[in-house]
Amino acid sequence: MIKYILIALGLGGLAGYLNSVSGNTAAEGFVSDFLFNASLMMLLFVMGLMFGMDKESLAKLKKTGPKVLVVPFVVALGSILGGLVGGLILGINVVVSMAICAGYGWYTLTGPLIVQIFGTEYGMLGFSVNFLRELLTITTISLMIRIDRYAPIAIGGATTMDTTLPVIVRYCGSDSLVSAFSNGFVLSVAAPFTIVAIASLR
Amino acid sequence: MFDLVIPLIIGVIAGYLLRNRKHINLNKIVFGTILLLIFSLGFTIGSNNELLNSLPKVGFNALVLCLSAVTFSVLFVKVAKRIAGF
Repeated sequence: MIKYILIALGLGGLAGYLNSVSGNTAAEGFVSDFLFNASLMMLLFVMGLMFGMDKESLAKLKKTGPKVLVVPFVVALGSILGGLVGGLILGINVVVSMAICAGYGWYTLTGPLIVQIFGTEYGMLGFSVNFLRELLTITTISLMIRIDRYAPIAIGGATTMDTTLPVIVRYCGSDSLVSAFSNGFVLSVAAPFTIVAIASLR
Repeated sequence: MFDLVIPLIIGVIAGYLLRNRKHINLNKIVFGTILLLIFSLGFTIGSNNELLNSLPKVGFNALVLCLSAVTFSVLFVKVAKRIAGF
């Protein structure tokens, strides 16, 4: 998954660079405005469609009980506070840094969403922060598991329901499947809403 | 921001109405759409020369923000574990 995303990002960057060198503004307008917005809306529509169609998604969530909601809730709070502290350290707009960290590692959503709300430069930061979070989850898991059994799930954030799930289950044991999946599920649903809510504080 | 919440809500309603249909595999559509979105994101970044020049600084800021968010997330989970006892 990461491999194909890096290839798509690299090809897009190269195509955009070559296009700007040749000065073709029509193609830039088509890709940056139309294709970008159309694919973002399509993705949000399909995410909603999958949630609505899956009869078990809600039942699965209910079955695991309210205790399992504690982990994603504190991970969300910790991420947003981390965004505030990080923003203060770097001296950048804290609303932007909190909104970026409220992506919980879901860079494919956060990057484009931050571009639309705060502009392209912050979008790049939003993409990088959350992309690094996913990379960090996979690369540091064998160290983090020693700090806490739940540490890889906390670091993985929204990615623990898909991309980092196989890695987490392998290192933390099969009993971590439900807590990891539900953590990622709750944070994935929460991410677009918390980003938009924080952005409205501006 | 309503233009982003609307497709999400329409999707949930459409999915709920279609829930008894024979299972449709949406994973390929999601994957294809993500690649298209990331390509156009890369294109937007690549055609912005000012942005490309600011990349080294963005990289450092990204690392600080990421580590800060991750540290507080792990810390909060450890505290919650002690309080809730799981």
